[in-house]
Amino acid sequence: MHKLWLIIKREYVTRVKTKGFVIGTVIVPLIGIGFTFLIVFLVSHQSRQSLRLVIVDNAGGLAPSVAAGLQTKMPDGTARFNVVDSIDRPASLAAAQDDLRAKINSGALDAYLVLPNDLSQPVELHTKNLGNFSLLGQLSAAVNQVVVEARLRARGIHVDDVRDLVRSADLQVIKVSKTGESVEKGQTIGVAIALVILLYTTLLMYGIITMRSVLEEKTTRTMEVLISAVTPSELLAGKILGVAGVAFTQFLIWTASLALLGSYGAAMATMGGGSSILSALHVPASLLLCALVYFFGGYFLYSSMFAAVGAACSNEQDAAQLQWIAMAPLVFTMVIYSLVLNDPASRASIVLSEIPFFAPVLMPLRVSLQAPPAWQLALSITLLFLSIGAVIYGSAKIYRVGILMYGKRPTLPELVRWLRYS
Amino acid sequence: MDAIALENVTKSYESVTAVSGVNLRVRQGAVLGLLGPNGAGKTTTIRMVMNILAPDEGSIHVLGKPVSDESRDSIGYLPEERGLYPRMKIRSLIVFLGALHGLSEAEADRRAREWLDRFELGEWSEKKMIDLSKGMQQKVQFITSVLHKPPIVILDEPFSGLDPVNASTIKDVMLEMRDQGSTIILSTHRMEQVEKMCDSICLINKGRSVLDGELRAIKQSYGKNTVHIEFTGSDAFLNHPAIASINRFGVGVEAKLKPGADPQDILKTAVQSGVQINRFELLEPSLSDIFIEKTAHA
Repeated sequence: MHKLWLIIKREYVTRVKTKGFVIGTVIVPLIGIGFTFLIVFLVSHQSRQSLRLVIVDNAGGLAPSVAAGLQTKMPDGTARFNVVDSIDRPASLAAAQDDLRAKINSGALDAYLVLPNDLSQPVELHTKNLGNFSLLGQLSAAVNQVVVEARLRARGIHVDDVRDLVRSADLQVIKVSKTGESVEKGQTIGVAIALVILLYTTLLMYGIITMRSVLEEKTTRTMEVLISAVTPSELLAGKILGVAGVAFTQFLIWTASLALLGSYGAAMATMGGGSSILSALHVPASLLLCALVYFFGGYFLYSSMFAAVGAACSNEQDAAQLQWIAMAPLVFTMVIYSLVLNDPASRASIVLSEIPFFAPVLMPLRVSLQAPPAWQLALSITLLFLSIGAVIYGSAKIYRVGILMYGKRPTLPELVRWLRYS
Repeated sequence: MDAIALENVTKSYESVTAVSGVNLRVRQGAVLGLLGPNGAGKTTTIRMVMNILAPDEGSIHVLGKPVSDESRDSIGYLPEERGLYPRMKIRSLIVFLGALHGLSEAEADRRAREWLDRFELGEWSEKKMIDLSKGMQQKVQFITSVLHKPPIVILDEPFSGLDPVNASTIKDVMLEMRDQGSTIILSTHRMEQVEKMCDSICLINKGRSVLDGELRAIKQSYGKNTVHIEFTGSDAFLNHPAIASINRFGVGVEAKLKPGADPQDILKTAVQSGVQINRFELLEPSLSDIFIEKTAHA
């Protein structure tokens, strides 16, 4: 046991001391938070420049209505659109367009809108910069309204306020949970997807860290010395537990900062400061606990497979070719997770989330969307930990043989044969 | 009690028999040369003694007890393929490996400082392995194999890549350990080192031990069947029927005699033919000759 502890300690200490760990733990979330604030800042301080627009109206009489529909203002009070001019039924459309194109190229104008004579034809927006989708949305809404109004009028239907008529119905989603009901504004889906991505990337990342760590001992031949002092099982267990310690440390730091930010956001919201992004960061403790249990279950399952791959190979290139064995189920999880996201209570979702290789990602996903029955959780955790036992047993066998083998990368049948060695 | 005893040990990998019916006894305090061509089964034998591999048949005892994970702490091992964690600082690396062999970290640290000073690596102790020259890395690795003062040391090509000064330092340490009662197993292809350092040898070829015992006794059993002759004059006398083969050097020849031949006959013939003899010496066969003979005809 003492030797195992020494291996764990070395693995943990050397990893935690690396720049990679510091960057991964501290700087990555800071960058994430930084970006969030940057986006919030950019959204609230959009460009103060209005879009300078000319309306070319081939139908005639529609331009003022379109201009009226573009009377929106930015948060600081400047108009979003500045209708510089409108050309009613130009004598020569081509000549007018040449003129306007020159103005856009010289920077005197941002865009011009061409309303067709026949309203069944498309309306054209000519612009140099297609970047701003929110402006495009407002523009399209304004044009839409005018065109619909014109079409209705053409059929003899008179309407005072078309906007009110064509407005789409609001669908408010209210999430029912054991603790009550809350208005759903998409944050559940947001948390769910974030959870899936987080679990997938961390499982993959820590699996690969374990693999490379085994590989490093092999390629540098440190293995020769290590196995003269400890058993392969001690070495494998020490490595997996050491890296698990690193992962746990990272998780603790992240959870603590998340909790801190969440409570800060909540405090801001009660004080009326209203930082909605921060309060959306609030994740229930039960979900965090569930994610943690499944993360470590998944970590032990996958990293022992990655360790076996690392032990079976003699260099990085071979390992890169063989690592699909360990990666495939994890990647497949990312292909099928949307099934669960769309209908967490479907039979497919229930079955998939019970399969040990998928459970580490899919079960926390289900929990985040809709609490599954306790027996399903219990069954999946039992299956997961039974599989961990079996996979570690098999991986340890491959590991024992692999760490002494140098040279050609083993084929899959050879790996299977290694499993049968005593 | 023997330091190491192998009885009828056999080990096969899939279709290849790496070691077949090897018997070997290494007396405590001996310096044994473990010899054999590449792929003869030396590494497999060492790995079985280290309990890294289990034999298919036969038994292995270390210091009188069946080989086990615990028995490994009595052995220091310098593998032929060198290498240690490249990004670990040297002293903490030595302490880590010492602790793995059962030393307390404080004791391992104390010894590490001593050894680093002795090998003139003191000022490098906070440097990473990767920053050291190959020779320095070699010395660090040697330290890790002897730090826990093991009663048995297995050294695989300990001198390869070392300059004469460092090689001599390592040799001194080995002799010092022998004087303190350690058993040393030296696996090498350099026969002159074995002749200088080892008191017994074990020659393995194709998985079998083809020769083992006290080096002196082995050499004596071959008899003095070689004559070193330096002369001036015609070399016609070298066609003597008692001479089996001749190896010419710059100043003289080495003549290998046929079994039962009397070297005096050759000397007489030479003198009668009017050749002036400057040197005439009966030699034991070199270990190199024995090695070639045993492995080439097996």
